[in-house]
Amino acid sequence: MMNETASPLQIVPNAEPVTSGRTQVAIRDLDFFYGKSRALKSVNLDVPANAVTAVIGPSGCGKSTLLRTINRIYEIYPDQRAEGEILIDGRNVLDRRYALSDVRRKVGMVFQKPTPFASSIRNNVAFALSYYEKLSKTEIADRVEDALRQAALWDEVKDKLNASALSLSGGQQQRLCIARTIAVRPEILLLDEATSALDPISTAKIEELIHELRERFTIVIVTHNMQQAARVSQRTAFFHLGELVEFDKTSRIFTNPAQDRTRDYITGRYG
Amino acid sequence: MQQAPDHTLKAFDDDLDRLRGLISQMGGLAEHAIGEAMRCLVDRDVEGAERVVAEDRKLDALEAETERRAVQLIALRAPMAGDLRDVVAALKISGVVERIGDYGKNIAKRVPLLESVGKIEPISLLAEMARIATQMVHDVLDAFVARDADAAVRVCQRDSAVDDFYDSIFRTLLTHMMENPHTIGQSAHLLFVAKNVERVGDHATNIAEMVYYAATGEHMTDRQKV
Repeated sequence: MMNETASPLQIVPNAEPVTSGRTQVAIRDLDFFYGKSRALKSVNLDVPANAVTAVIGPSGCGKSTLLRTINRIYEIYPDQRAEGEILIDGRNVLDRRYALSDVRRKVGMVFQKPTPFASSIRNNVAFALSYYEKLSKTEIADRVEDALRQAALWDEVKDKLNASALSLSGGQQQRLCIARTIAVRPEILLLDEATSALDPISTAKIEELIHELRERFTIVIVTHNMQQAARVSQRTAFFHLGELVEFDKTSRIFTNPAQDRTRDYITGRYG
Repeated sequence: MQQAPDHTLKAFDDDLDRLRGLISQMGGLAEHAIGEAMRCLVDRDVEGAERVVAEDRKLDALEAETERRAVQLIALRAPMAGDLRDVVAALKISGVVERIGDYGKNIAKRVPLLESVGKIEPISLLAEMARIATQMVHDVLDAFVARDADAAVRVCQRDSAVDDFYDSIFRTLLTHMMENPHTIGQSAHLLFVAKNVERVGDHATNIAEMVYYAATGEHMTDRQKV
């Protein structure tokens, strides 16, 4: 520029959506084995509290395995094992002394296909409640309503709580599964491809729900839909061949990733 | 970081290449507009100048085409990271190149008004200044197509040469005006021409900053520019 001295502009970096800064799940040197095959390799990851962390990567990269490890679902298969630590509130959930029912209570999970029980809408939510807690009938009714409201389903089902859960649409069933999961008030919500079987409108409703729920829960989503990861998460972890390649703010991962492998994957140049 | 390999979806690469091609094409026209306007000015070629003015429409049409393709590419391909930065850069650069073409048109419009220009010395200086400025435009658009951040930095560093030329022409014309009050009108026109060319250099510098961001994801620092 001519005859102008550049004024030293103070540039304020874009404020990221607030995360509490607290780590909810600390994953330390995590290895996972299906028999002899190593599906996760020395993963270290701090999942921030009250934020949405998206886990992305090609099929077989270990992202679903990571979720299965956090809530110890793998335990029912004899040839699967995890090494390392997953610390929640400082305690290692992989430790057998950590009661499985406590893990499940702290960590809720929703799967790709809606999995309602073949029972009434009310029972679907009330079942886990009465399993974990001694509650009166009115308390249960309140908690069922509360969970259905949080899952943005209440208005659609309040007049037919005794109807079969199987009569609901796929998107409603998935929100029912989310209601069922959050009814027991977990701290962490794991969503494994929770919208991939749903139409765009149901998907948008669940994404909006995820956005609202992150104030109360720590959410980890696994998704093949990168636009979804970009839309709903504050942090993104990219996995490849069982390794955590890059973990950063979502805005950074999708505009200027640091690693070549991340770049190639998110820009559609993979393999 | 290594050069990115091709997309799995080949049509995506084709779309991006077409967008880069449009920017190159616009650059060629803008360079030509400035160069040809300056030639007409020196040669007093009024008809040639009229052609420069008329051809500016092509640049406007190409800018609109670039915008249309960029919006379409964002909507249909959902580009990410470096691809997204490239598309956004193409969108911004097309607007700047169109502006450079306007300067060519402005210069050309002054050609008939300067018919009676006698030997005002800086006219040869002006032609040389315009040559440097259009070369900057040429090189910075090459840098965009090649995603070459270093080449973009080198373009920025050349802008001071254009500025020096402008300062020198400004002083010469001022002296000339004082000594030859009857040609003040013409001198003032030449002053505007010089200012237009100086702006071309500034715009090339702006494009260089866009190219640098598209290629690296970081903004060029002030220190790199000098």
